[in-house]
Amino acid sequence: MMADKTFILRIKRQAAPQERVVWEEFEIRYRPHLNIITCLRDIAEKPITRAGDGTTPISYDANCLEEICGACAMLINGYPRQACSALVDNLEKPIRLEPLTKFPLIRDLQVDRSIMFENLKRMKCWVPIDGTYAIGPGPRMSPEQQQIGYPMARCITCGNCLEICPKVNDHTQFVGAAIINQVRLFNMHPTGNMHARERLEAMMGPGGIQDCDNAMNCVKVCPKSIPLTESNNEINRQVLKHAVWDWLNFSEGPTERDEEWKRLGIQK
Amino acid sequence: MPGTASKPDSSYFWDKLHSLSGIIPIGAFLAEHFWSNSYVLVSPERYNSTAAGLEQIPWRIPVEFLFIWLPIVFHGCYGLDIWWRGKANVLGHPWMSNWMYVLQRWTGIVLFAYIIWHVWIERFATHGRSTFAGVAHDFANPYYTAFYVIGVLAASFHLGNGLFNFCCKWGIAVTPRAQRAAGFFGAFVGVIFSVAGLLIVAGFVYNWHPFSGYL
Repeated sequence: MMADKTFILRIKRQAAPQERVVWEEFEIRYRPHLNIITCLRDIAEKPITRAGDGTTPISYDANCLEEICGACAMLINGYPRQACSALVDNLEKPIRLEPLTKFPLIRDLQVDRSIMFENLKRMKCWVPIDGTYAIGPGPRMSPEQQQIGYPMARCITCGNCLEICPKVNDHTQFVGAAIINQVRLFNMHPTGNMHARERLEAMMGPGGIQDCDNAMNCVKVCPKSIPLTESNNEINRQVLKHAVWDWLNFSEGPTERDEEWKRLGIQK
Repeated sequence: MPGTASKPDSSYFWDKLHSLSGIIPIGAFLAEHFWSNSYVLVSPERYNSTAAGLEQIPWRIPVEFLFIWLPIVFHGCYGLDIWWRGKANVLGHPWMSNWMYVLQRWTGIVLFAYIIWHVWIERFATHGRSTFAGVAHDFANPYYTAFYVIGVLAASFHLGNGLFNFCCKWGIAVTPRAQRAAGFFGAFVGVIFSVAGLLIVAGFVYNWHPFSGYL
């Protein structure tokens, strides 16, 4: 029998956040076009380390396997990327796998990325249309707008841009490029734009746009090639305009204006 | 609480003020500083008369306080806070913009120490009177000269890259092409300041006055 070509996978493992860190090495049988997820499945099939010790299957998140869900983000040779689109043929061996470091660890390569969803809510990255009666169709979006918006809409919330950002850490509440990009997307959407002001207010709040310090790493690790620095700077422009305008007018938003109108007896 | 409006805190305001103060008045002051010091390249006498002219401006202390000391202290101290809130990762990811980010941080730290020293020896130890002879005496010390060269280069880089950051943070350069243009602009300013600063240092160290032909 001819010996199979193999390669080594080194994986940083932790059974739980408070458990000890263990590095385990696995010898994987090489096949052309292998990706990292396939390697992890190989290990799950036969969880035996290179030294021959029995172990547990690796814990990791994965879903679509075609780089459109964002779930399998991890550090591959120290670089945040999607395991499903990381081809073994293109990677330096031995391949090193580690969990993302900016999110709470669950187990092995699995982390809890829900903070991004919370931040999307905090920054109001949705279009509120629910009400008690039908309000009819929204305004139309021109093909030009669609063309600008589409690249931004490709975001899969994988968290690579947060992982690589020097300003996302324990000392800041920075929401990161992914969320700022969504603020821009929803602000340019004709219906979403009706709530642009609320998003810009949120963007000036804790962890907002001001925390970006231009390391510009986000745009380099984005698997969907979203122009993230352009989105950051565009939101910088929108927030600044909003902030200066409000400041010049001593305005604190619609609530205060409503009260002022009520005081003056003006019917809206 | 998610889903509710997060009340703006003051960090946006202070961050913007930090960004602005680096250009106006600190960047503008640096330009004036290099310009005035360039008189050393004409002659020691011109340097002395320029220094005397600056020393005799009306409202000197309030002007120095409002346009130089206060902005620099604010920019420096808030900069230390920004430094503290960032975690550089350039070693694993040596992209150019990441290097720029890290160098901006480290030049800031260097400048913090440098400016304290520089202001002490040239402003307070001299009782606010600068002369060519006095400065040339300081430059006779090679350690002083070395620290000056480091300070000049750090300040030039910090201003040049700071201009680029300003263009991004104030939404002036949005598209990648505009960012690149802003980057070239910042690099240009940085190089000009570096060259001018080093020539000024050479003027003091070597008693060198290339523009003396004007006299």
